[in-house]
Amino acid sequence: MKQVLTFTLDGAEATTVVSGTELLLDVLRDSLGHLGTKEGCGRGECGACTVLVDGRAVNACLFPALEAEGRDVRTIAGLGVGNVLGPVQQAFVDRGGIQCGFCSPGMILSAHALLATNSEPTDDEIRDALVGNLCRCTGYVQIIESVQAAAAVMGEEQ
Amino acid sequence: MRDVAYHRPATLAEAQALLARIEGARYVAGGTDAIVRAKSGVERPRALVSLRGVAELGGIEVGEGLRIGATVTLEEIRRHPVVQARHPVLAAALGSMGSVQIRNTATLAGNLCNASPCADGAPPLLVSDARLAISGATGVREVCVGDFFRGPRASCLEPGDVLTGIEIPAPDAETRSIFYKKGRVRMDLALVNYAASVTMDGEICRELRLATGAVAPTPLRLEAAEAELRGQRPTPERIERAAQAAMEAVSPITDLRATAEYRRRLVGVFTRRALEALL
Repeated sequence: MKQVLTFTLDGAEATTVVSGTELLLDVLRDSLGHLGTKEGCGRGECGACTVLVDGRAVNACLFPALEAEGRDVRTIAGLGVGNVLGPVQQAFVDRGGIQCGFCSPGMILSAHALLATNSEPTDDEIRDALVGNLCRCTGYVQIIESVQAAAAVMGEEQ
Repeated sequence: MRDVAYHRPATLAEAQALLARIEGARYVAGGTDAIVRAKSGVERPRALVSLRGVAELGGIEVGEGLRIGATVTLEEIRRHPVVQARHPVLAAALGSMGSVQIRNTATLAGNLCNASPCADGAPPLLVSDARLAISGATGVREVCVGDFFRGPRASCLEPGDVLTGIEIPAPDAETRSIFYKKGRVRMDLALVNYAASVTMDGEICRELRLATGAVAPTPLRLEAAEAELRGQRPTPERIERAAQAAMEAVSPITDLRATAEYRRRLVGVFTRRALEALL
């Protein structure tokens, strides 16, 4: 059963046709060509597919696409403006929070959601916010430093 | 995942009609268990009936106690000011569950309906005397949470039943409670989870409730352990007898996460630790 799905994707309206139990991750990647959102485990454990739905981090691999109807979906592609990276992205680049890059979209979106509600997180709060995002390269230290650096930059900008 | 129809009814009546009409259909709320099971082929539903759009299942109502709708996410419950202020044992348990992403999607009602022996939502509700509202073919009924679980992945829900809400009475002003969970890492299923609630009356323990999970076919109240201290003046000997009674009451299994012996020992440790903290 095909149904039309309309939602806001990175600030612009997106319309596509989805079948019953298609998941948001597959619609983003396969139907809409948004390849920034990655698929890792496919079962909600690694966080590579993290996107923000109405500002909240969710696993797109478990999110039925039809539940996105009328909602605001933000992916890694929606954090910068043109070729200018957003502050969290830039901090990950500057502080070595990115190595192979596969976990980075999800990691950065989780960090972004944290900083939207907590502008001065402790290391422990950062670890809690990122517990659902696995990284197999960095050992997490640079990632936590990146989030702290982003928080500082965003604090200065305000 | 096999592609099947995904229905988004707006009312409970519509949802129940869909489930009755489509053979092999399954309800889904947050889907963090149901969709994983469908993806892995453990379950093969013929259709999914989403409860997320059913208005009467949403929201948290604050009256004398608390009524949590079936589709409220773990994170919404955890951050609710009344939950934080009056039900810290529930807030702590919810905070230990999954990741932020899972908590933004999964529901407490779904955690119960999944009926896993290690459901972290169960022990805090068991020590809070929560009641569950169920709507089914024969009408609406209420069960206390202690009567809900029947075995691993088995509950008292009949086909077509919907757990519509969770009702938690307000605790007495003097009641204090605590939650413990042992996992291997921060985001993990519980090797053992544990909740305790104690109400003191001067130096006498007027009421206490102890509950644990992942150590028996269902989450369970530790009634024999409670009896060692209810109406009593707490002493180290009574606490020790309660810990022994708690360890005797559980029937854990050995699996890839922990041995039965370790789990049993943890139940004793958590009992001692909770009683020493709260009495």
